[in-house]
Amino acid sequence: MSELIALVGPALHMLAAELPSQAPQGHNRIAAQAAIGSLFSLHILIAGLVSGAGELGPAIEFLGFVRQRRRYDRLAHGLGRFVTLYFSFSSAIAILLITVLLVGYWGRFWTTIVTIGWWPLFIEAWTFVLQVSLAYIWYYTWEPLRAFKGLHMAIGGLLAIASFLQVYMIDIIASYMLTPTNPQNPLRLALNPTSYPLTVHRTVGNLAYIGFAFGAFCAIRFLRARNPEDKAFYDWAGSFGLLWGVAMTLLQPIVGYSYAKEIQLHSYGSWYKMMFGTLSPVFLWQITLLGIMFITATLYFGRRLRTDGARGSGLLRAMSVGLVLTTLLAAMPYHLGFTYADVAAAGLDRPFWEGGLINPLGSMIPWKVLALMFYTLIAIAAVVWYLRGLPGVVWGGARRGEQRILMLMAVLTMLMIVTMGFIRENSRGPFLISGQMTIEGQQNTQNPQPTPTP
Amino acid sequence: MGRIAAAYNWFDERTAIRSLIRKGLYEAVPVRGAWFYTLGSATLVLILLQLITGIFLTLLYVPSVTEAWASLHYLSQHDAFGSIVRGIHLWSAYILLFVIGLHMVRTFFSGSYKRPRELNWVTGVGLFVLVLAMAITGAFLPWDQAAYWTAVVVTNIAVYTPFIGSFLRALWRGADTVGPTTLSRTFGIHVWLIPAILFPLIGAHLALLRKHGEFGSYVNYRGAYRSREGVDVPPAPKQRPIEPPYPAVPTDELWAAPLETEDFYPHQTFKDGVVSAALVILVFILAVAIGAPLEAIADPATTSYTPVPEWFFLPLDELLLLVPQQLIPLVLVLPTGGVLLLLALPFIDRDPERNPFERPAVMVPGAFAVLFVVILTLLGSGRLFNL
Repeated sequence: MSELIALVGPALHMLAAELPSQAPQGHNRIAAQAAIGSLFSLHILIAGLVSGAGELGPAIEFLGFVRQRRRYDRLAHGLGRFVTLYFSFSSAIAILLITVLLVGYWGRFWTTIVTIGWWPLFIEAWTFVLQVSLAYIWYYTWEPLRAFKGLHMAIGGLLAIASFLQVYMIDIIASYMLTPTNPQNPLRLALNPTSYPLTVHRTVGNLAYIGFAFGAFCAIRFLRARNPEDKAFYDWAGSFGLLWGVAMTLLQPIVGYSYAKEIQLHSYGSWYKMMFGTLSPVFLWQITLLGIMFITATLYFGRRLRTDGARGSGLLRAMSVGLVLTTLLAAMPYHLGFTYADVAAAGLDRPFWEGGLINPLGSMIPWKVLALMFYTLIAIAAVVWYLRGLPGVVWGGARRGEQRILMLMAVLTMLMIVTMGFIRENSRGPFLISGQMTIEGQQNTQNPQPTPTP
Repeated sequence: MGRIAAAYNWFDERTAIRSLIRKGLYEAVPVRGAWFYTLGSATLVLILLQLITGIFLTLLYVPSVTEAWASLHYLSQHDAFGSIVRGIHLWSAYILLFVIGLHMVRTFFSGSYKRPRELNWVTGVGLFVLVLAMAITGAFLPWDQAAYWTAVVVTNIAVYTPFIGSFLRALWRGADTVGPTTLSRTFGIHVWLIPAILFPLIGAHLALLRKHGEFGSYVNYRGAYRSREGVDVPPAPKQRPIEPPYPAVPTDELWAAPLETEDFYPHQTFKDGVVSAALVILVFILAVAIGAPLEAIADPATTSYTPVPEWFFLPLDELLLLVPQQLIPLVLVLPTGGVLLLLALPFIDRDPERNPFERPAVMVPGAFAVLFVVILTLLGSGRLFNL
């Protein structure tokens, strides 16, 4: 033991001498932003999966009960396992973010937001407790409660509610940062202009994301499986995940558009930045990415049917072409003015309130709105055609190409989530709380405290 | 024989009431899905509640721009019973819209609209549209601020009808702007025109229901698809036979006979009674606790009033807010196109298959449409809190 202390002791002394006595100060602002941004992205990528699994798992269990098919039960059980395994990982990142990075770098902001949003954060903390407790009960009582499936599904239902509440509570805080209201009124805080659309957007998004993610997971397991029964299961589950993900993503153009509209109505500066300002190229990339996701999914549908000679693959190929054309329409800048001279030549070198445009790349109206409509309609048709062809598919016979597409879909979805987070968080800039608090002066730890008099 | 029995026999000899009641009460109805079928009877009970309370309201209401608001204000302030009746009229209308919507969704998902029940569905869609029209025209009548601006917005929507839009708006308004003629015409439509179509259509719907029976749903036949162990099995080749006349025209051997049946009375009537009574109690509680709001009298000159749409208008209102100006006519085509598509549904989807999981061509767009409406309502209702 003494040898160990002798070895470690000097190293600890040296480390202590090198460690800063407090969080890095202002000159490291960019690094702090990068650290917070990247860790938040990682946290959202995992937390979105955990929330989605907590909502989708019970739904699949119910579906299996209604349809009396054991593969649904196996899939739901797998999602339950995922929640129990990854909940703590997601929470650990959140704790690191809050206790070290947010308090250390943006202390004033964190104190302010906790003071304003104390109730939502208090409920949020308890929904975490509820969520993890229910997740463990739900997962570990699978076999013991098999004879009481109704009770087990009720526990799953509570887990889904807890998962939803947890997302809603944190969305109150996130949406307040973009569209702040009177913080003295808890109802106004909870129902601030973007809290509602953001929650619907995120809930639907999490449900889609978990579908794509377990589709990719099943693709990997399919490639490794040797047992025909496992191959059949993972082939089916991968297809189901993708189908579920696409079905949920179909709702996103409407929900996302509604969210953007609320931002336009209640935080015009942020909206302008997204649509016409510095973020408009990123926004253009986002709508293009949505098209790529639909194209990729339709390619999978067509390939999977063709592998087993099922009907409908030809039409699905035609739909892919339709989606490519729609994506080109969506990606097309409103006005092909990449330079100021082009914009001036078009007579658009006026302030936006006079009908001019500074950076017209991301304008939605009307072509991008039409593109969103086409995306939705073509993707609905693709889902219908795939489902019509499914009776001709023999599960277990998929090829490697289809599995690669499933994995690609998960990557594209992650890119989409990170892109959307980037746009939303940066649209507020330079504010942390829109119009109220900037990133400057966050560390006021140097102020001397008054000396207490005896 | 007692006097009552003698009187009953006398009446029966002349009207055949006994056999009519027997025929009405002792029909075979399916056991499976019986609670789902209560939505239809609940819809009927709520419509009757509308009729009764509506008759009471017409005893006091004056359909003129100078008296309409005052008559309802008098009702709210000086007549406790009248104010409850108005509350019941409003809340039963709200719940009716919700229940009739659920009834349609149930019929759609369970495939009950298929042959030979196509006309049940068509009359049902007609009833849904008429109930919606009742709700919209009813919203004009209080002639408070909310009513006036609803009238302005709704009559303006008519102008987007291709070719005859301006004519329709002028016909409804009776002038260039919303005014006295608009109110009296809308009152006429609300209490005479719509009920004159609504009640015969209810009769036709019920007559068709009795002719074909309640066996249309997938749930009535679900047992054919699984064994006791819960393992998937192919559909049973033959099912337990049932006495005629149900269904009137067997379309397919698989769907010819439901698995389990019971008498309409007392089994189904009990369930119908429970659901209907629960809804009536709920309506009464809401009428007493919340009542029917009456805002300030309509003032076309005001600039400070922010109109709030009725909740059943929220999906359309949200959609109108979302789409660009250029695409508004396209959005207004959606409800019309949707109704036409609903009317055509049984003639498009003619496959006898009723299992929702085996009907993707209809189920996916249908489920999407339902989700679309629900999400737009949610988003719209969220916005209401931020006014």
